[in-house]
Parts: sequence; C-alpha cells; structure tokens
Amino acid sequence: MDAGIRIEGLSKRYGEGDTAVEALKDVNMSIAPGEVVGLVGPSGSGKTTLLKCLGAVIEPTRGRMTLGGEVIYDSAAGGWKTKDLRALRRDRIGFIFQAPYLIPFLDVTDNVALLPMLAGRANGASRARALELLQALDVAHRARAQPSELSGGEQQRVSIARALANQPPVILADEPTAPLDSERALAVVRILNRMASQYQTAIIVVTHDEKIIPTFKRIYHIRDGRTVEEAGEGREIS
Amino acid sequence: MISLAGRDILHSWGKFVLTGMGLGLLIGVTLTMAGVYRGMVDDAKVMLTNSGADIWVVQKDTQGPYAEASSIRDDAYRGVLGLPGVAQAANVTYLTMQVRHGDTDERAMVVGFEQGQPGEPNYLVAGRRLLRGHFEAIADVKTGFRLGERIVIRRHDYEVVGLTRRMVSSGGDPMVFIPLKDAQEAQFLKDNDSIISDRARTAANPALNRPGIPGLLDAVNAAQTVNHSVNAVLVRVADGHPAESVAQEIRRWKHLQAYTREQMEEILIAKLIATSAKQIGMFLVILTIVSAAIVAFIIYTMTLGKIREIAVLKLIGTRNRSIAGMILQQALGLGLIGFVVGKIAATIWAPAFPKYVLLEGADALRGFIIVMVVCALASTLAIRAALKVDPATAIGG
Repeated sequence: MDAGIRIEGLSKRYGEGDTAVEALKDVNMSIAPGEVVGLVGPSGSGKTTLLKCLGAVIEPTRGRMTLGGEVIYDSAAGGWKTKDLRALRRDRIGFIFQAPYLIPFLDVTDNVALLPMLAGRANGASRARALELLQALDVAHRARAQPSELSGGEQQRVSIARALANQPPVILADEPTAPLDSERALAVVRILNRMASQYQTAIIVVTHDEKIIPTFKRIYHIRDGRTVEEAGEGREIS
Repeated sequence: MISLAGRDILHSWGKFVLTGMGLGLLIGVTLTMAGVYRGMVDDAKVMLTNSGADIWVVQKDTQGPYAEASSIRDDAYRGVLGLPGVAQAANVTYLTMQVRHGDTDERAMVVGFEQGQPGEPNYLVAGRRLLRGHFEAIADVKTGFRLGERIVIRRHDYEVVGLTRRMVSSGGDPMVFIPLKDAQEAQFLKDNDSIISDRARTAANPALNRPGIPGLLDAVNAAQTVNHSVNAVLVRVADGHPAESVAQEIRRWKHLQAYTREQMEEILIAKLIATSAKQIGMFLVILTIVSAAIVAFIIYTMTLGKIREIAVLKLIGTRNRSIAGMILQQALGLGLIGFVVGKIAATIWAPAFPKYVLLEGADALRGFIIVMVVCALASTLAIRAALKVDPATAIGG
C-alpha cells in the first residue's frame, strides 16, 4: 500500500529508570491516502501520546515514521529528518481538535487562509484556497463571519477546512465529534470521508464516540501503548 | 500576511479602547505633572524678563529677593547709579501676602516699584499705568480683579487702574503692582497697636525720654515709624557693558550682593524650585512605574486569555517571533491609544489648573518615546508566558 502515513515500531517512554513509563510500545500503523481510520482506546491507553508523536509535537523514543512516502522520523538515523518541526506541522500535517479552536479575532476565511499565509503563500492565493475549501465544506456563505457567530457544526467544518488548507498528506483529528450531537457527529464523519477522498488525505480520527465508530472501515485499538488493527463495520452514513 | 495584533485589537476594540483611555488618563496626569514643572520654570523666567532688569542688587550674603529675604537701604540705588555701565537703577519691594478682594482673600505677590523704572510691568492688557503716587494698583488678570475694583492691602484701599498678564511670582502667585512708598509701608509699617505699644515702651525708657532733651523722644519715635528699606535694586546695564563686570563692580564697591540674569535664573530654577522639581520628578517616576505595571498586567491578562489560541497557533506552525510580535504590537497599540488620549486630556485640562501648566512639544515627544519603551518592556512578561506555551496543550488531555 502507498502509505499516506506509515509507522513502524514506534515507542515512547516518559522518564528514566524505575519511574519510566512506556506510553507506546512498538506501534505499527499504515494509512493510505484518502483513507479514514479510527483510533480507539480507553483513557490513558496512549492515544494522545501517539497523536503527539504523529503530530511532531513530541519526539518518539524509537521507531520510524513515513509521511507521503518520505521518512520524517527514524530513531536509527538520528531522529527527526528536519530541525524545523514547526514547518513540518504547518506544511504536512493537518490538525482537527476536540473543540474547533478557531482564532476568535480572525474571520472564517482568514482562519483558513492563515495556514497558507504562514507557509509563505500570497494573501490573495491563500484566501482563494480558503474559499475553495469553505465551498467544498458548504460554509462559504459564512466566509466573512466571526467564529463566535457560527454554530458548533459550522465551526467544526471551518476547522476541517483549516486542516486541509496546506493540502497535508495526513490529518490528525482529536475527538472531533465530542461536543456534537449524533446527527452533527455523523455529518462531520461524512465530511471527513468526502474530504479524504477528494483531497487524497489520510485521516486518523481519535474517538470514544460510539456513534461514529461503526462508520470506520479500519480501526486501530490501542491499549497499554500497543495497537491492534481490526476491520470496522464501515457502515454507510445516510 | 495578516496582522494578528491588528485583528485582535479590532476584534476587541471596545475593551482595548476603554483600557487605553484608562491608561491615557494616567499618561495625561504624567504629562500634566511635567507641564507643571515646565510652568514653574517658565513662570520664573517670565518674572525675571518682566522685571526688565539685567542685575539684581540685594542684601549681602543673601540670595534675595525671591529665594531669600533681602533688605537694603532705599538710598543704596544712588551709589549704584554712579558706577560705570549702570544705565538705570531702581528700588523694588516684593511681598507675598493675602489681599482682600470683596469678601475673599486672594494670594498675591505685591510689588512696589517706581514709575518709569525697572520693575514696572512692561505691558498692560487693559487700563493705564499708575499716574498717582499712592493708592493705585495694576493687577495680573489671574488675581480676578477688574478695572475700577478696590484691593485692600493692609490698612489701605487701592483702585485697580490697569491689568497685566503672565506676571506671576516663581511660586505662581499673580502679582499686584503698587507705588514703592505704599509697598514699603505695607511691608514694613507696623499696625497701630504695635506703634502705640512701642511708643509707650520708648517713653518708659529713661535713656530715650530725658527731660533735659525734649525733642529726643519724638525723634526716636519718628525713626521707629519710618522705614527706609527695600528688598532689591534692579539695575539696567548700559549698552556695551557686560552685566557680569558691572555686577562685580557693585559687589566690590557697594558691599552688596549682585546677581546677573543667568545667576538669578540659577537661583530660581536650581534652588528655589529644586525641591518642587524633585517632588514632581518622584511623581513622574511613580506614575511611569504604575503605567508600566498596568500595561504589563493588562497585556499579561489578555495573553493568558488566549493561551489555547496561542497553543493552536504554535501547533499549526506560527513562529515564536510572530506570536511575540503580536503581543508587542498590542502593547504598543495600547500605549499609542493611551498617549493620544493622555495628550488630548492634558491639553483640555491644563488651562483649568490654578498655576501655569506649560505642555511642551519636546516633552510630549519624550513622553511618547518613554510610553512606547515602557509598553515594550511591560509586554515582555506576557511574551515570556506565550513563548512557554507548549503547542502539545492544543492536543488531547
């Protein structure tokens, strides 16, 4: 499989000696471009640690990560391949948070356009890209609105547009449906599936949400730092 | 690239403007304090300029007549006039006192001068110069007197025949000009009860009340009643004579102290108002520290309110310098709003102050630079807090 993201033998240990905690143990994952997979596990199982490692926010202790066919981390070869992890996150990884966390003082368009601008794209091109994504997510009519004027579902769609703004090969979604009711939660998953397919982005959705777990075709269960892959129901969302 | 600071300010402009206005009032007070000091210095200089003198001749070993009491004989000016380089010399008296204005007291500096001589007010805004030798007065408009009104000074009434402007003492008290003889009496003449008491005491002294010398007691009483003292002699130097060399001649031959314009300015500014200047300086320092603390607190609080957004910004790739720049620009924006409000407020309320408040452009420029520097320094606390935010806090629990 041509991986959007591939993880091999990833481990993360906090602390040293007797107090060391092995948060991730030899984790292996592979998600293809355009695929949406679930990452499910109880609290303290290592989901957040895995997300932080994938998001280049913390450094794994051991293992190898490949993003869009390019190695970004290899403990055997000295760790991160780039020193500028900020640029790595900005250009190659999209983030969707539990709450939308839109920047309250920027309007909808600029919340999305901020990422391409940070990457050095011209303001006009960045805003055009933002509007294209907002249209794709059916929130273009709120382009000039402030985040506080949007409903919860609209805010989450804008945060999805922001995650897609720099066309990253992977998006990490951290419980994106947690604050939403069933209908809106399923709508968000539907959008994620559509966007993954449309933009050929691999999406990892960390969730506890029983409503959306049956919608994934593949699920990684994580428990005590170890992942187990299983086939999901892949239920169609009406 | 979007100006994050500008957008944040626009987003919460109400809070920003209100905070800026609060800070502005504080800055306005600071600018006014500086204006009060400048006003004192200017009052002192204007007083010296308006006296029309090049040299002040005062009692030996004193720094009179403004900074210390000085008393010299009123015929000393004749000897001064005889020195080379002296064009004019005239007696003056200065006495800060309460003068009656209807039913109220006004604090004023009463100046006794000789008509047509140095010490006379050099311009009037209404009325005329003194024409009579007694009981006429020229008042500064700040005293509140109007032409034709009567001023009660000690035992006598004076009619206001002229009004002048910007004639104030170094303490800011408006001046009232009256004839020298009246001023001497007002300053040195005792009240009736004291005169009667002194005469009784003199009469009871057998050495001064000798039956064999009938005119002695009257002569002594007359000598005690009449006063021949003035506070200073104002000298105008003839063209081509340096004031310092004329002053040196006066010191050498007349056993009097003589100060040139520069020396008198030094006495007034460096000595007489030095304590006030230090007092104002202390206020300025405290107000600057308070302003800095307020800006630091406001910016810090605003930054803490955006910690989650800052974590998200860092996570999605915003550089530390962009975040620091955002906070710095907000602090500077706050300072700018504060300075504009403060400058406007100080300009509006300065004329309402009882003493002259001089708001100088150079002070405003210095104030603006200080405000900006203080705001920049005050933002460092918030910048430090923002830079310590871990982008990982945006993810999960």
